[in-house]
Amino acid sequence: MNIGGASSPQAVRGNPASGAAASGFHLEARNRDGSVVQLKAEPVEGGRRVTIPPGCQATLIEKNESLRPEPYTTQSKWEIVLAEGAKLNHYKLVHEGPQATHHSFIEADVQKSASFQSHVFLFEGAQIRNTIHVRLTGEDAECLLEGLYVGSGSRVIENHTLVDHQKPRGTSRELYKGILDGQSRGLFDGLVIVQKEAQKTDSAQTNKNLLLSTEAKAFSNPELKIFAHDVKCRHGSTIGQIDAAQLFYMRSRGVPQAEARRLLIYAFASEMIEQVEIPALRDILFPCLNLATYTKK
Amino acid sequence: MLEIKDLQASVGDKQILHGVSLKINKGEVHAIMGPNGSGKSTLANVLAGREGYTVTGGQVLYDGKNLLDRTPEDRAGDGLFLAFQYPVEIPGVSNTYFMKTALNAIRKHQSRPELDAIDFLKVIKDKAKLVDIPETMLARGVNEGFSGGEKKRNEILQMAILEPRLCLLDETDSGLDIDALQIVARGINALRGPDRAFIVVTHYQRLLNFVQPDFVHVLSGGRIVKSGGKDLALELEEKGYGWLEEEKIGAR
Repeated sequence: MNIGGASSPQAVRGNPASGAAASGFHLEARNRDGSVVQLKAEPVEGGRRVTIPPGCQATLIEKNESLRPEPYTTQSKWEIVLAEGAKLNHYKLVHEGPQATHHSFIEADVQKSASFQSHVFLFEGAQIRNTIHVRLTGEDAECLLEGLYVGSGSRVIENHTLVDHQKPRGTSRELYKGILDGQSRGLFDGLVIVQKEAQKTDSAQTNKNLLLSTEAKAFSNPELKIFAHDVKCRHGSTIGQIDAAQLFYMRSRGVPQAEARRLLIYAFASEMIEQVEIPALRDILFPCLNLATYTKK
Repeated sequence: MLEIKDLQASVGDKQILHGVSLKINKGEVHAIMGPNGSGKSTLANVLAGREGYTVTGGQVLYDGKNLLDRTPEDRAGDGLFLAFQYPVEIPGVSNTYFMKTALNAIRKHQSRPELDAIDFLKVIKDKAKLVDIPETMLARGVNEGFSGGEKKRNEILQMAILEPRLCLLDETDSGLDIDALQIVARGINALRGPDRAFIVVTHYQRLLNFVQPDFVHVLSGGRIVKSGGKDLALELEEKGYGWLEEEKIGAR
């Protein structure tokens, strides 16, 4: 695997997921002055554990990918500790076989002034469960959780996220978007907890779903539990369909209906990919999106 | 070019058009005026093929062929264009990309070669000047965050790029200040030509000071109650629509 153009010899590569040959990860880190930091991804039960040292900026790119047609199960697990002032960008792409089950578990301990950013792209696989637990254990810690999930056929995708604000002045942002076709099911179950000590917390959580068929279903359960009194928290969710007015507008300009639909689906999802800072990764994700949202009608 | 014969249409349970007949030849500019609720916008939307409008009688021939059984994209491919009264915002699809997709879809429909990105960029930059649209607006999502005037200018830009043969303008002048109105009018006038026809739907005579129509029709209660030359618009401006209603009642 060679993605992200980040192919320094000091980078760590590995195969955290069992049973999927094309899967793997790429981890690299630098100090603020640009010097390369050697990181260890130690094996732990069911996955890996990595600690990002103070002030260090790291990137973790993880692909779970296979073309195997038969049923199989893969899992991936990351235990991540971000020390003071550290930053990690985690990109995860799930593109498993049509009958595959994939379980992903990410646990992050975000310490003082550290920043954890997670970008999850769930494109293929029969059953995908994505679980992310983030604890903001230091003051001024922040996290960004972004996810794009695409369902068709009878695919079932579950997202369970937890952001636990434990200390003051933490910031969390969460945006999960689902595109559901066929008889697929998409679940977003997101809990934000603001502990008593976590004053001045600033949190926003959003889940948006686009249903492409009458039989697809989205379940959205954004939840906030606030025990502090001086906080700014908001959350919301939407479940909608292709906008008839937008569709007619495009068709009235000569764009055929199927292409207009594709463009609108693309428009819904593209912001999630455009925000990816690694051009080579964007070049992988955009075709995946096209493929995953191509409706066979 | 376009022949509307006794067209009747409804929205939901409500009959809006009660038999509209109109003949438009190439090169002509027809203004359709009338009070609110007279059916002007319904007529424009039925011609463009919008869902939710049911044709209950009559027919429309475009180039001698039935227009009403065709999809909106086929109508556009054959040179019909509707400038919307309320242009739709499409965040996430850039103006440039949308216009390139639309132009190439139309060219494909007409069995003409598609334009590549570089050639298209030349076209859009050239046309954008006509309606004073800066390049930054071309990169933004379609109509996303545009002001009312910018949206209407963008409609004219699309019209200039797609080069339709029959242009329907649905209250393009509404909500425009005088500067924006002149820009829009300049765009329309630049497109006037011997092979292109216009149907300008408007509530006010104002736009017609800048875009001189060949014919003016007054739509009222779902029927054309009076037709005339451009002087009719001035007469309407002076007297309002009330006198036509009275004339119609008197004639019964």
